[in-house]
Amino acid sequence: MALNLTRRNFLKTASFAAASVPLSKIVAHAEEGVSKTPLIPQGSFKDTRTVTGGICEMCFWRCQLVGKVRDGALMKIEGNPKSIDNGLSICARGNAGIKLLYDPDRLKYPMKNVGKRGEPKWKRISWEEALDECGKKLKATVDKYGPQGIAMFPHGASAKYPMHYFEHAVGTPNVSEASFFQCRGVRDYAWLSAIGGGPDENVDMANAKVIFALGCHFGENIHVSHTKKYLKGLANGAKLVIVDPRFSASASKAHIWMQIKPGTDTAMVLAMMNYLIENKKYNADYVDEYGEGFDEFKEAISGWTLEKAAKECEVPAAQIKEIADLLAANAPNVSIHPGRFSSWYGNDFQRGRALGCLAGMLGAFGVPGGWVKPKSPGGFGKIKWGHGHHEEVEALHREAEIYHQSPAGTPTDLIRDCAITGNPYPIKSCVVWGQNPIQTIPNQQKTIDMLMQMDFVMCVDVMPTDITMYADILLPEASYLERYDYIKKGTQWDLSAKQQQYISARMPLVEAGFERKDQVYICNELAKRMGNEEAIPVHTIEEMMDKMLQPAGLSIKKLIEENGIHLQPGKDPYGEFPDIIFYNEDLVDEGYSGAPTYVPIPEVPQGYLRLLFGRSPLHSFNRTQNNAWLHAAMPENPVWVNDKTAKQLGLKDGDRISLVNSEGVESGTTSHVMVTPGIRQDCVFMAHGYGTKNAAMTVAKDAGIDDQKLITIIAVDPETGCHGMRNNFVKIVKA
Amino acid sequence: MKMNHHSETENNNIQTQPLADVYGFLALTMRYPDTSFLTEDFLDVFENLLTSLDMVGEQEKIRACRQQAGNLVDTLQVEYTRLFINGIPHIVAPPYGSFYLDGDHTLQGKSTQRARDFYRQYGYDITDTSEPADHIRFELEFLAALTRDNDLEAEEQFLKTIFRPWFSNFYKRVLDEKGHPYYLVSTKLIDVFTKEEQ
Repeated sequence: MALNLTRRNFLKTASFAAASVPLSKIVAHAEEGVSKTPLIPQGSFKDTRTVTGGICEMCFWRCQLVGKVRDGALMKIEGNPKSIDNGLSICARGNAGIKLLYDPDRLKYPMKNVGKRGEPKWKRISWEEALDECGKKLKATVDKYGPQGIAMFPHGASAKYPMHYFEHAVGTPNVSEASFFQCRGVRDYAWLSAIGGGPDENVDMANAKVIFALGCHFGENIHVSHTKKYLKGLANGAKLVIVDPRFSASASKAHIWMQIKPGTDTAMVLAMMNYLIENKKYNADYVDEYGEGFDEFKEAISGWTLEKAAKECEVPAAQIKEIADLLAANAPNVSIHPGRFSSWYGNDFQRGRALGCLAGMLGAFGVPGGWVKPKSPGGFGKIKWGHGHHEEVEALHREAEIYHQSPAGTPTDLIRDCAITGNPYPIKSCVVWGQNPIQTIPNQQKTIDMLMQMDFVMCVDVMPTDITMYADILLPEASYLERYDYIKKGTQWDLSAKQQQYISARMPLVEAGFERKDQVYICNELAKRMGNEEAIPVHTIEEMMDKMLQPAGLSIKKLIEENGIHLQPGKDPYGEFPDIIFYNEDLVDEGYSGAPTYVPIPEVPQGYLRLLFGRSPLHSFNRTQNNAWLHAAMPENPVWVNDKTAKQLGLKDGDRISLVNSEGVESGTTSHVMVTPGIRQDCVFMAHGYGTKNAAMTVAKDAGIDDQKLITIIAVDPETGCHGMRNNFVKIVKA
Repeated sequence: MKMNHHSETENNNIQTQPLADVYGFLALTMRYPDTSFLTEDFLDVFENLLTSLDMVGEQEKIRACRQQAGNLVDTLQVEYTRLFINGIPHIVAPPYGSFYLDGDHTLQGKSTQRARDFYRQYGYDITDTSEPADHIRFELEFLAALTRDNDLEAEEQFLKTIFRPWFSNFYKRVLDEKGHPYYLVSTKLIDVFTKEEQ
């Protein structure tokens, strides 16, 4: 080339070789992206405004937000000043939502994999082409294998509408939500069998005299209004009892920290209840009035002496007694926390039942400090998909008559095994909507095997998570800051304060960028192409919101006028007392134990350590791992190792290590050791949501260790089919 | 604004139309390729432009791409996606100024705002706000518009304060990747036409 060619030389000497087509003709329509506009004076203060109606989804507590928007771009996120839930407070993750919104790695356009599954070569395609392909492939699966030939893995608020489409209009029972099977489903069904309903986290901690929690990690797991309740309770002088193998953030504030042996919690609770019975320290009035099957229950747990539990749990008997006495002395104003993430060891249904029964024995319901269900506003419209033209297909676990107490959907491992073996039927298409089953479901290789045998895989997400590497078609979804979709309702967080109710709906703080679309658009277009157009319940997401809000006398427009939150007078939530089913005959009929029962879990094999995992206040699992701000605050997940264990293994604080599990699976990536006396000698702990393999996550790739990779042994909870994930054992390898 | 006497005198004896057309053409090379513009005529013009500029090696590369088996537009769509949208192992060279300028690899950063303010100050704005305003295609289109308006002062200023500070890093990423010759040649041509005078 001409070495002296520059713009200015070109201007002076510009001459083009003779050509059949002149350059000017080619560029005639080139400049469409920039056009003449009226002059805007320099330095004018334009368009900075506060947009209300945001609802966070950096985690699933969903705080109410406002956005500071300048010129169409979101500059800052704050709590909505009108909120009586989170108020002005939002957590680090909530603040960092902007980094998700504007993450350059985010999905932007529909893409088709023109390479191999799992080793994708992406090509941007039009929505039309993408939807045609998805519709055609999914319809072909239904035509050939029936609706059960489709598996769906949904997660988050945006997945609700498509989940109901696949369940009701298409008719597949093979839908599995990580939020149930790998999180709280077991808790909800355990409490359902004890008190007749799901417990949520409805303990009135702000007004409690004692807060009792098995393994809850308040402060590591920040749900803003819940944390407010907890902190107010502590500020008011509540005694805090934390039972945890690890000196967690909560343990650091506890009056009593019991460093229990993992998996033995139920034994400890049974012993406390037996002690309360033997010493007549329980609330006999409540039990007489509201209890069912107390005598059978009493009989069933009678062998659980303090000493027996102390041996099993490897804690002092005196400490169990101390806690039981503290609870009895302060009953009924005690918070027996139901927990949230509860699929721990595969014996979790029994632990949940035991907690419900303990709360019942203390009469800790419907009173200040106890379990109290807030009186939230009701009467919202329901959006229901029509029933398509399909036969009813029984879910795999119903067919096999197992996991009778299973939450909605089908246990994930059953879907996976069915797909891999083709028994009892083939599953040949997979729809993933906002979930990352590579990091949520134990045993990654099996998940990959399942995906590889599919005829078709489609994913809808905001980020290129691990699972999206297996998509044939990958669709970009509008994030929670760019779409409508969810009614958030409730009451003031302190149940003893002025009774108020709030209703809010998620509204976009900014327009969706690139070609990102909302779930109603995507799902309706799929339905049209799958022959289910008649079943479509709403045509736009705005229509969906207005239909849901209308029975409550609200609309999007009205909520905008009210700065995103409608407030109305509330009702006193105290004074409702549920029946407590101490001994459940239905469970007996299904072949389970009627009274809460302790089931021991596998011991730690010689030379290994039990792998415990939890949360960091800076991350919501893999959803936030690529967030540049959050990553900067906690770039990797340290591995907690007990100081004595570290000494034996020759490890120092800060040493680089990798892990290998008892089945020979290696972590692949490394992290550093945190040496501490604050964990049992036979355990290690790390935060979940690190060590992604997907290089498309440029911030998070290989940062820290992915605990999920090491969780290859699933302990299936027999009643619910939920997945206990803490029966995996690792060795530390110096890097 | 401070006047640049050097360009003022030169402006009298130069034609800006060809440069505006070149910017317009370069903007097209940075658009997602499709058959609405990426035609045989377009490629003829591309080759012709390179020949005129004495960039023989580059012209041969474009010629070779055209002669390869397979549909060129299809190939370029996959390559564009990989380089500039989402790719495995990751997006190679995000074509947005703020990614390079704002320190934490963000889109819609403060520098995006500066670029858009610049457009507006000269009576232009982007027509589609779904892409950030500092997409390379918009910036090249804006340069074409300024040049067409004969405002070479503003054009130079935009190059110096907005475009070049990030383009050099973007270009380096594309070069280091050693991807499809079409994009190597296109970005090289952009570099030639936007770099600072020696």
